[in-house]
Amino acid sequence: MKSKTLTCIICPNGCTIDVKAHDNGDIEVSGNKCPRGKEYAVQELFDPRRTISSTVRIEGAMLPLCSVRLDRPVPKKEIFAVMEEINKVSIKAPSHIGDVVIENVCGLGANVIVTKNLDKI
Amino acid sequence: MKTDFDVIIIGGGVVGSAVARELSRYKLGIAVLEKELDVVNGTSGHNTGLLHSGALYEKNSLKMICSMEGNADFDRVAEELDVPFKRCGKLVVGFGDEERERLEKLYQKGLDNGVPGLRMIDHAELKSIEPSADGDFALVVPTAGILCPFTYTIALAENAAMNGAKYFFDHAATGIDRTGDHYTVHTAKGDFTGRWVINCAGLFAYQVSKWLGFGAYEPARVKGEYIILDKRVGKHLIRPVYPTPNIYGDFDVHVTPTIDGNVLVGPTIENIGDKIDYSATQDMIDVLARDGLKMFDYVKREHYIRNYAGVFPTVKNEKGEVEPDFCIQTREDIPNAVNLVGINSPGLTSSLPIARRVVEKIKAQEKLIPNESFDPVRRGIERFAEKSKAEQAELIASDADYGEIFCRCECVTKAEIKKAAHNILGVSTVTGIKYRTRATMGRCQGGYCQTRIAALLQQELGQKKNEIRLKTTGGYMFTGDVK
Amino acid sequence: MRTHDAVIIGGGPAGLAAAVQLKKNGIDDILIIEREKHLGGILRQCIHDGFGLTRFGVTLSGPEYSQRFIDMANELGVSTVTNATVIDLNGDRVITAATQQGLLQVQGKAVILTMGCRERTRGALAIPGTRPAGVFNAGVTQSYVNLYNTMVGKEVLIMGSGDIGLIMARRLTLEGAKVKGVFEIMPYPSGLPRNIEQCLNDYDIPLYLSHSVVEIKGQERIEGVRVVQVDESFRPIEGTEKYFSCDTLVLSVGLIPENELSLAAGVELDWRTNGAVVDEFYQSNVPGIFAAGNVLHVHDLVDFVSKEAEAMAEGVAEYLKNGALPECGLEIKAGNDIGHLIPQRVSGKRDFKLSLRVRKPWGKCCLEVRQGETVLKSLKLAKAIPAEMIELVIPAEKMNSVEDLEVRVYEI
Repeated sequence: MKSKTLTCIICPNGCTIDVKAHDNGDIEVSGNKCPRGKEYAVQELFDPRRTISSTVRIEGAMLPLCSVRLDRPVPKKEIFAVMEEINKVSIKAPSHIGDVVIENVCGLGANVIVTKNLDKI
Repeated sequence: MKTDFDVIIIGGGVVGSAVARELSRYKLGIAVLEKELDVVNGTSGHNTGLLHSGALYEKNSLKMICSMEGNADFDRVAEELDVPFKRCGKLVVGFGDEERERLEKLYQKGLDNGVPGLRMIDHAELKSIEPSADGDFALVVPTAGILCPFTYTIALAENAAMNGAKYFFDHAATGIDRTGDHYTVHTAKGDFTGRWVINCAGLFAYQVSKWLGFGAYEPARVKGEYIILDKRVGKHLIRPVYPTPNIYGDFDVHVTPTIDGNVLVGPTIENIGDKIDYSATQDMIDVLARDGLKMFDYVKREHYIRNYAGVFPTVKNEKGEVEPDFCIQTREDIPNAVNLVGINSPGLTSSLPIARRVVEKIKAQEKLIPNESFDPVRRGIERFAEKSKAEQAELIASDADYGEIFCRCECVTKAEIKKAAHNILGVSTVTGIKYRTRATMGRCQGGYCQTRIAALLQQELGQKKNEIRLKTTGGYMFTGDVK
Repeated sequence: MRTHDAVIIGGGPAGLAAAVQLKKNGIDDILIIEREKHLGGILRQCIHDGFGLTRFGVTLSGPEYSQRFIDMANELGVSTVTNATVIDLNGDRVITAATQQGLLQVQGKAVILTMGCRERTRGALAIPGTRPAGVFNAGVTQSYVNLYNTMVGKEVLIMGSGDIGLIMARRLTLEGAKVKGVFEIMPYPSGLPRNIEQCLNDYDIPLYLSHSVVEIKGQERIEGVRVVQVDESFRPIEGTEKYFSCDTLVLSVGLIPENELSLAAGVELDWRTNGAVVDEFYQSNVPGIFAAGNVLHVHDLVDFVSKEAEAMAEGVAEYLKNGALPECGLEIKAGNDIGHLIPQRVSGKRDFKLSLRVRKPWGKCCLEVRQGETVLKSLKLAKAIPAEMIELVIPAEKMNSVEDLEVRVYEI
């Protein structure tokens, strides 16, 4: 049996969830207030994933940096590999929310997307 | 770079800068060697900002004479140098017979010294003139006042620089030699030669005194801690309120309004010998909270905005006694040197009178030729916050940067910060901006404006991120770019 | 002098939500005054995600969340002045703002305070020690790192477990700094559990509860801190002192509503919230001056800020339409275990939303709102922590308009 007690990070409730995966394949989840918590707990037990937020350099905008994030979670252990890719990027103003800065980053199936509109000055 | 001067002043604090300013009335090449990156980083920037009356000091001591002279003169000086100043008077309050006896002694001493306007008042009158103070009786010292010690020191230095004195920051003297008819002052950044050396080194004056061959003084420094209260409570305190001097003749924790509307609680008194220690300690913070509350109801944690410590350059003389008076010394066997030692309180009040005495000592040795272009008037940066709405509108019309508020708490504009960044002394630290504008001095302590100031220093002075200094050479603010 | 139906001071999440909601209520003549070059307020630097789940049902970063409101405000034609810092507000609701074009003076029939909050500083806590470079507030650090491309240090300690400090622990780690630990004087974290999990635990950053920073060391740049464990009364426990070296100390020790303008206008403040005392319409004691968001009381979630501002806008709209609002003569008293509550005054005639925080963590407990002998509302909770704001709607049906109300929490 595989089990874990964890704090759900999906919403501010931060439920304390117990998740148990029995050897027969049954999965028991308790402590969650919503279905998203259950989904998170199961994911967290077998393959913990996170989205991360950071910035990329931007030229020609009022700010030197433009904020970005992943559009879907990646395996936790890949976070620093993803950061390395993000740090290589420099974009040009203007930036628009949703612009893809890196497609399929590190082959993980997630895109790095812009989260701030910055005008060209 | 020119390193040969008529006069080398070691130490650019309030006394060194007053000496530089008074000497700049004459045709002299003047160098001020300052170990810090600004003129107010030592004792001159860490004190109570009080204009003393002279009541406290031994009759006819230099402390009495200079402080009374400095006090009498200060309306004119403040006007000339554009220094915020208020002659608000001061109160020394007391309870019970024993304190009354001690306070009466102080009153008599003040009368004897010739301090004008002193009078004892009763509880009712105390309450009527200073409602938040308490006491069975009080001594009113009407000639005392409050001034901005940062602005005053900076104004003296700027006026000296306007009139030709050269300031060298990050230039700590490391030794002095005399060869022929001149002195060589060594610094890590090169030697400076001069016909005269003036020791204005404050906390390090004992060391310079030894190099020059004057008395072997030893440091017996006194540390004082303070808490600064928010301007919100400043309106409740009209003038400084002191307790009756304790049995050793020292004032315990007192409260002083600052010229900008905050309240200072302190200082505590602690002998620290040869140390230089600007750290705040929990013990003293507790003392300030406890004793400060006796003086002023608003000494409460929710009103604290900052705490700091000052170190006063008290020395012991060769007999091992604490030097009670200012020493302004010359000696025939040490030609062309003026030695200032033991310049502690009331040094701020006495700085110009001390400087004039230094000039007299030089004049006794050589004829000084007046500097005909000397201008005693120095104007500070116009402060948006202090103007009427009509004047504010005019300022913005004259310079649009007056319409951009950088520091919310103190209402300091971009125009003021830009001017401060381009100050005549060439001071380029974040703290230098603060001392010249009050930006970051408010309740948010730079939470809103510090990032803007850092950006402005990069833009206006071309500093790289890792070159921006908070206050000192090793006090870097940032490690560089994030990416 | 220009007048507007509503003048909003501050174009952050609260101000934007208020503007949008006023427009939806048919109040057209609105002006937002914003001191920055852009709308969005503090969210511009909050680039992490986790915003919007309550308000929009999706998780967004701060800039994305604020852009949604900016877009709505633009679509509805809300007037804004940016680069304008309000420097005065008086009881007649006359606002003076400094702009590069001159002083702007406007009067609002209603004035809406949405200035947000500021951070508690080292000075306010009187932390002993020297005053070297390298001591930053968490929000200031966030601004340097996320907006100004400026790295504050390499070896970081964090004092206080507020959410911004936790968020910055992760941000600084991702950007290459070593975050060596977070010290919290309370026996429980002050930030949200999910942030403890995803900002500290994910990166193996230790959280030291019941630990106090007792001295800052270093002459020019910070070199380290002395830390000591404390007992329940926050007294240092002998023999627990440790020294941690660092080149940077980040403080995340609380937020304080920014109410200097409110005070200038004669607005009464609540010592518990440090924000205005308001009624169920979010109106202060000065008629026509309203407040919502972090200027009123510090929220943990921007979604609640927006919702509060929207609720306030309903009150403002009613005020503007009727020229006045029902009198709110009943006081809501907070029991000892209630940290603070909003509103502090109600009419007793309408449903209203009560927001509150408990003073300490509770397990199974019950929140109870009473009026005399009548229980108006009771809410059972599996847990309650000071980090989380609790909201509950109090129905008017059982309320009278004579007796004050009282809120308490008790164990069950």
